Amino acid sequence: MGKIGLIIKREYTTRVKKKSFLLMTILGPILMVGFLVGAIWLGQQEEKDLEILVLDDTYVLSNTLLQSEKYHLTSSQDEGIENIDDGKTFLKENEQYDIFLYLPKNIISGNASVGKLFYKDAPSSNVQRHLENVVDGSIERFRLGKIKESLNNEDAKKLEDLWVRLKNKVQLHTIDVVSNEEKNVGMRAGVGFIFGLMIYLFIFMYGIQVMKGVIEEKSNRIVEVIVSSVKPFELMMGKIIGIMFVGLTQFIIWVMLSLALTTTLSLTVFPDLMNPENVAQTIQVEQVAVGVTVEPVNTDITETGKEFQDLIFNQIPWGLMIGLFIFYFIGGYLLYGSLLAAIGAAVDSETDTQQFMLPVTAPLIFAYIVAAMAIENPNSAAVEWCSQIPFTSPIVMLVRVSMGAEGLGWAIVLSMILLIAAFIGTTWVAGRVYRTGILMYGKKASYKEMFKWLRHK
Amino acid sequence: MTSETPIFEAKNIVKEYSGHRALDNVSIKVPKQSIFGLLGPNGAGKTSLIRIINQITAPDSGEILIDGKPLQREHVSQIGYLPEERGLYKKMKIGEQAVYLAQLKGMPKKQAKQELMLWFKKFEIDTWWNKTVDELSKGMAQKIQFITTVVHRPQLLILDEPFSGFDPINTNLVKSEILKLRDEGATIILSTHNMGSVEEICDNIALINNSKKILGGKVSDVKEQFSEEKYIIEFKGTGVAFANAVWGGWEMVNNKQLGEHHAIATIKLTGGTQLNDFLKGIINAVEIQSVNKVIPDMNEIFIRAVENEPISKEEVVNENTNQDG
Repeated sequence: MGKIGLIIKREYTTRVKKKSFLLMTILGPILMVGFLVGAIWLGQQEEKDLEILVLDDTYVLSNTLLQSEKYHLTSSQDEGIENIDDGKTFLKENEQYDIFLYLPKNIISGNASVGKLFYKDAPSSNVQRHLENVVDGSIERFRLGKIKESLNNEDAKKLEDLWVRLKNKVQLHTIDVVSNEEKNVGMRAGVGFIFGLMIYLFIFMYGIQVMKGVIEEKSNRIVEVIVSSVKPFELMMGKIIGIMFVGLTQFIIWVMLSLALTTTLSLTVFPDLMNPENVAQTIQVEQVAVGVTVEPVNTDITETGKEFQDLIFNQIPWGLMIGLFIFYFIGGYLLYGSLLAAIGAAVDSETDTQQFMLPVTAPLIFAYIVAAMAIENPNSAAVEWCSQIPFTSPIVMLVRVSMGAEGLGWAIVLSMILLIAAFIGTTWVAGRVYRTGILMYGKKASYKEMFKWLRHK
Repeated sequence: MTSETPIFEAKNIVKEYSGHRALDNVSIKVPKQSIFGLLGPNGAGKTSLIRIINQITAPDSGEILIDGKPLQREHVSQIGYLPEERGLYKKMKIGEQAVYLAQLKGMPKKQAKQELMLWFKKFEIDTWWNKTVDELSKGMAQKIQFITTVVHRPQLLILDEPFSGFDPINTNLVKSEILKLRDEGATIILSTHNMGSVEEICDNIALINNSKKILGGKVSDVKEQFSEEKYIIEFKGTGVAFANAVWGGWEMVNNKQLGEHHAIATIKLTGGTQLNDFLKGIINAVEIQSVNKVIPDMNEIFIRAVENEPISKEEVVNENTNQDG
């Protein structure tokens, strides 16, 4: 084993043996799965059990309103409440009700009508939107009835048919013209974003570890002994590569543990909760809420579930995604890790790093923002550019690829070549700064000085 | 003890750091199996030279020869370096990191372990193998560092302030180990401000000041070069008689009365006066008991060479002075 191998081995084993590594490796998947389960559970809980008191000053809406299935609506007359102030007091004094919905008389007259929703604990925007839809539906129903009153029976029936037709709800299924496959673009972009997010987190976490490792060696002065045995560049690369393997190890354990945990949980503790149908329902809850009318909501839950399963098992090119993930993780990490190593070498202590950190972390954070934008608009020019620029491509490219790799071949190859060229460049620069920096003490380096170090023999 | 082929030679080394010349045409020769003192005030350029020998930095011009061959990467395993500012990994077990450092010097793992165990026993620290540096005192850590410097049996040892942080007992232990290593074939370059130890163990020295070598050679030669015509004369008789015995050609540096008619005088001969002539003059006036030549110690030489001015009178009479008449 060469000397760089020895360094890689030391960097790797000392970190993997640490208690904090073990803790993070085990806690990570538990937290992730916990969040997922929690999110799904919350999504399913949220809209149940709301008791809503309705004061209908129009006297005409409550008939249809009270038929809503989603929440439990009670007419204020049942509680003997006649006006808005009584209703507010009643809501305050009674545990039984969560929300008091007030519909003024004029709500049925104008186009932009305003009702009031009094609450004790703020309801989610979903609840608000849902109730708006329900009230809208009631008003439509009422107006339709009004028109029907002035018509004879035959015309009324025609109108009713016409209205049902008008209410027809459209779903657009997105189909890739090249592969002729049906795809859920939004959800696929989401999966790509999660990959990008992982790379972002890993670059940050492990890049900072490289920097701290360099500062540690410099500040405890062992570096001088070591560079008398190996070249500074070998020491730097050994550290960067060793920590990279720590990151990959942690990633692989996370993926395996998460899969094992999810599978175990879905088979045992929460067979219902982890059912893809329920998961899909939660994810699509907003779309469902928008579609609600007084008519029974015709959202085919089984279909959505199938779509989700199809997305997970058939549409995402997992092999390619994981291959690219590993490439972009390594590439992005080497790019940023080497720059952070140079920063570590240029300072005496961690407190001095701030001024140099910003130019390095800013593009990383920018990449994250672009990746988030890419979910909405995966083919924008910004996303295309950022998936080529080496400082952002590791995070942005995966969002693009998750939308379908067809036709992206050259873009991927070009971005890979650019990334490789860029990290060779940054490693070269970092190696030069590192070499001089690790032996400089007591003097806070400036950019100007670092530039001089680049030209040292 | 010393042969004439230098195992280490630096030829006309020049090194500049952004406008500042750290080493200006420095040349030194270190004979095989000797101890070489690399001296100089702080910031004179010693560390720059040591880093060049360790290939941590490269000289702008000049050449380093090891056993007559230009310095190369392969020489790393033949050089042992103990820097002045030294440290260890705080959280790593001592035995593990000693093995790691030995491996970096090219030692196979198994052999490194065996040799380290022997050294740990010799320094009576074999129970520390699985401890971390955090648990040790500074002196303990110094021992580990010394061991890791010498365990791969380097031909050339570069020790920068090897005695700092040691108590007198451990200083002696390290000193005797250094001498033993030299007797076993190693050549040692010792950089230190501890002039006592230079006097004690160094065969040759070089003094670097302001990036230039201002003094060099065998310790005895350097001393000879710096010795003035100063003598310490113990006599019985009166000071007045002594002082009036010879007119001119000498001056009294110091006079210490031991008894009523018993004194020690330190004199300096001037104007080419010969010691014999001076003695002939005073031999009738007082009864001479002993005559010794004053040999300057390294401390004095260091200060005089660096400050480039004659030493003051107080410094002349020194308890440590060698006396060889």
